[in-house]
Amino acid sequence: MAAPSAAGLGRRLRAWLPRIMPVRWSRYNPSYLEPEVKKESYQKPLEELTEEEREQVELKAVRPIRAAPPTLSSSVFSDPMISKFTNMMMKSGNKVLARSLMSQTLEAIKRKQLEKYHKAPENEKETIECNPYVIFHQALKNCQPIIGLSNITKGGKTYQVPIPLTDNRKRFLAMKWLITECRDNKHRRTMMPEKLSQELLLAFNNEGPVIKRKHVLHKMAEANRAYAHFRWW
Amino acid sequence: VRLICTTTAVQRKNAGASGPEKYTEAFIKKQIEEFNLGKRHLANMMGEDPETFTQEDIDRAIAYLFPSGLFDKQARPMMKHPNEVFPEQRKIQWGEDGRPFHFLFYTGKQSYYSLMHETYEKFLNVQKHQDQLIAQGLPLQKEKRNLAGSRWLTKIELEEMLLEKLSDDDYSRFIQLLQKLAALPCADVEENYIQKFSKEVPVQLQKVVIEPLQYDEQGVAFSTGEGKRKTARATAVVYDNGTGKITVNGTDILHHFPVLQDREQLLFPFQFLGRIGKHDMVCTVSGGGRSAQAGAIRLASAKALRSFVTEKEVEFMRQAGLLTVDPRVKERKKPGQEGPRRKFTWKKR
Repeated sequence: MAAPSAAGLGRRLRAWLPRIMPVRWSRYNPSYLEPEVKKESYQKPLEELTEEEREQVELKAVRPIRAAPPTLSSSVFSDPMISKFTNMMMKSGNKVLARSLMSQTLEAIKRKQLEKYHKAPENEKETIECNPYVIFHQALKNCQPIIGLSNITKGGKTYQVPIPLTDNRKRFLAMKWLITECRDNKHRRTMMPEKLSQELLLAFNNEGPVIKRKHVLHKMAEANRAYAHFRWW
Repeated sequence: VRLICTTTAVQRKNAGASGPEKYTEAFIKKQIEEFNLGKRHLANMMGEDPETFTQEDIDRAIAYLFPSGLFDKQARPMMKHPNEVFPEQRKIQWGEDGRPFHFLFYTGKQSYYSLMHETYEKFLNVQKHQDQLIAQGLPLQKEKRNLAGSRWLTKIELEEMLLEKLSDDDYSRFIQLLQKLAALPCADVEENYIQKFSKEVPVQLQKVVIEPLQYDEQGVAFSTGEGKRKTARATAVVYDNGTGKITVNGTDILHHFPVLQDREQLLFPFQFLGRIGKHDMVCTVSGGGRSAQAGAIRLASAKALRSFVTEKEVEFMRQAGLLTVDPRVKERKKPGQEGPRRKFTWKKR
């Protein structure tokens, strides 16, 4: 059980040492807070904030803040979801390649949507979504499972028990399914951006193999409803 | 790095936990007299006035008379007041017949438990006061204590106060009790008691001095900043009335940073303040890799921009994480392992 964090400064700031050295540690003192990069949050005047936000502002004024990581920026083009997806696509630390694949994917999506837009009749033009970021976010949202399965061993046998998932886990599963789907089930000659844009557009319309996988998971969870009481947390 | 941030505060032996008196009171008194006498002799030797001879003067005199090349400052000759040299001790807790003075002596942590008892007594007091107010029908005062401006004593400070060793668990229980007490509506009754255990935190973390703008020959305002990240060191000079041109080590940034992410990082401080086309920048950078160099220049330019901008915006920059030095460095390889975390392949035989 960690000792409560005191926002001590000067020498006291560094004198934090847990009894047992944990494996996952950070070079930052635990009193350092996460940085807030978006410009809009700093332009709100004090009166419009709620009580909690006011307390947050006061706390931020006193505590030290961590440095912003290199992937985070206040420009309109940096999106945390896209960065997360790029990192997951990255192999052996080749961020340059992953980033270029991502930008080619978004370009491919835009091109396909524009083609559709120009071919469509007048009344349908408004329903076609051209913004690749919106398509990406919506597709990811559609792919996220609501309930997950976990292996619980009871009495020697392992059962698949339905469990609720946290937001982070849902996002991770959606992204992981998309990437594995694009890497495995494609023709040898198709490039990753093309296949990814295809998958994202299908997921945006709630079709495609990734959505099918999500439905399969949901059905398994429904089938194993009887074991739901095995969960103890 | 295992022991990341330790200071002498942590490594110093716990005050009072070394057991009952090792030095008698008479001994300490004699030491104090000798110290004062020695101070006057020293002042005489150095030709200074014995009445106004401060501790700094003593340190300087000793360093002059006994020069030492030892690396550890604690190993060099020093002359300090006996209260600093001999740690505060607890006097012997029992009388001549062997009977202890304090009723909680046999718990082992008498000062801690007596403190908890006292705090709980105050808690019950406040509740009684609250009940009285409710009975009389008067409204309860709901003044919220300014939590952000004060902090509780750390475990080490509490140990020094009690002259007794505490465990993490004990300390957190005490802090929880204090928080409960402070959260009650009528806690103002015991405000004095609570203030004994809380300390002021400087309201703004703006302890850094912002340098004023300098002006070069043409009258253009400029300012410099230094930054570092991993092994890269960078200096940036930001000029006013510019067109947004950035030069790194004599070459254009497109030439030096072919990757988009690095250029984005360079522009981050300017974009955050909304001053993209208004400043020119000339930087020099050495060491590190491409991302480390970009991070170093970002920090240097953010520090340089502080002089051009209002204090509020400096605070916004700090809260966006632009002004903190990133402490993350490459973790060292350990013996018996292949890398910092990766172990050798486990072979069954």
